[in-house]
Amino acid sequence: MHQDNTPSLEHEILSPLIQRSISFLKEDLAIQVISENIDIILPNKIKLKKNTAMLGTGGNVQVLISMGYDDALLAQVVEAFLEGEAIEEDEREEIQESVSCEVVNTIVGNALKNPLDGTTLSITPPILISEAKSLFKQKSSQIAAATITTEFGEMLVTVVGPKELFSQTFNFKEL
Amino acid sequence: MLHILVVDDSLIIRKNIKKYITNLGHAIAGEAKNGSMAIEQCKELNPDLITMDITMPDMDGIEAVKQIREFNKEVNIIMVTSHGQEEMVVSALKAGAQGYLLKPINEEKLAQAIANIYEDYTQELDDELLDDEFLDD
Repeated sequence: MHQDNTPSLEHEILSPLIQRSISFLKEDLAIQVISENIDIILPNKIKLKKNTAMLGTGGNVQVLISMGYDDALLAQVVEAFLEGEAIEEDEREEIQESVSCEVVNTIVGNALKNPLDGTTLSITPPILISEAKSLFKQKSSQIAAATITTEFGEMLVTVVGPKELFSQTFNFKEL
Repeated sequence: MLHILVVDDSLIIRKNIKKYITNLGHAIAGEAKNGSMAIEQCKELNPDLITMDITMPDMDGIEAVKQIREFNKEVNIIMVTSHGQEEMVVSALKAGAQGYLLKPINEEKLAQAIANIYEDYTQELDDELLDDEFLDD
């Protein structure tokens, strides 16, 4: 929980995503994370990685979550998913897209609960943002982002949501 | 040997589950990437078992289970989902699924999920046989 006890995008949503991302990379994919002390930033604009997958949460907490990878990291994640199985070169791109989407789906599904009542957050099927560019903050929105550095390159985790997740009376804000 | 239909919108997950099924000595009945396709494939292929993803475009796994149960009460269904989506698993079990499998998936988890269902099934058959024996007596 945030220091002033106000639920926030970075603490209630992004922090658990970072923790689960790190454990997923290390334990499930055997990819070494260089540092586990991750800084969270709240930028007005953020440049996304070329290989980025995104999904949304539904219900009471509606945010967009994206995860993007450097080329070498994505290649290693794909290899880990394939478990040593060879693939045809013409199916590599489709496999990479599928893996990008599956990682964000699994991490978000594993990591997120409704911060107030602990219930499940529904999630949309992930989509791939091909040749992803940048996200810009709008008046009523907020961006929170963190970069996880691994032995194969960076993973960028980004959350976009309303400025205040909840009202001061702890009812959900109308979005 | 079971004939298994694999339903998931993710190509990599379908690919891995099919590999595990083959390694475990079962047969792949077919594959589908959304709930609507799963229903059609189930009608056409009449599998013994379905692995069914929950979050899919067009029609999700829970709705697919409900619709499959309208015409097929026999097929066993294992839901595939993430940790943290337990409420959806409960909905799927209420709709008629027999078990679930938590992502990330591996061969051991799939083998255990299948064993859980077919151990129950074997026990049911044993119970029925015992009942028959008592009735014969």
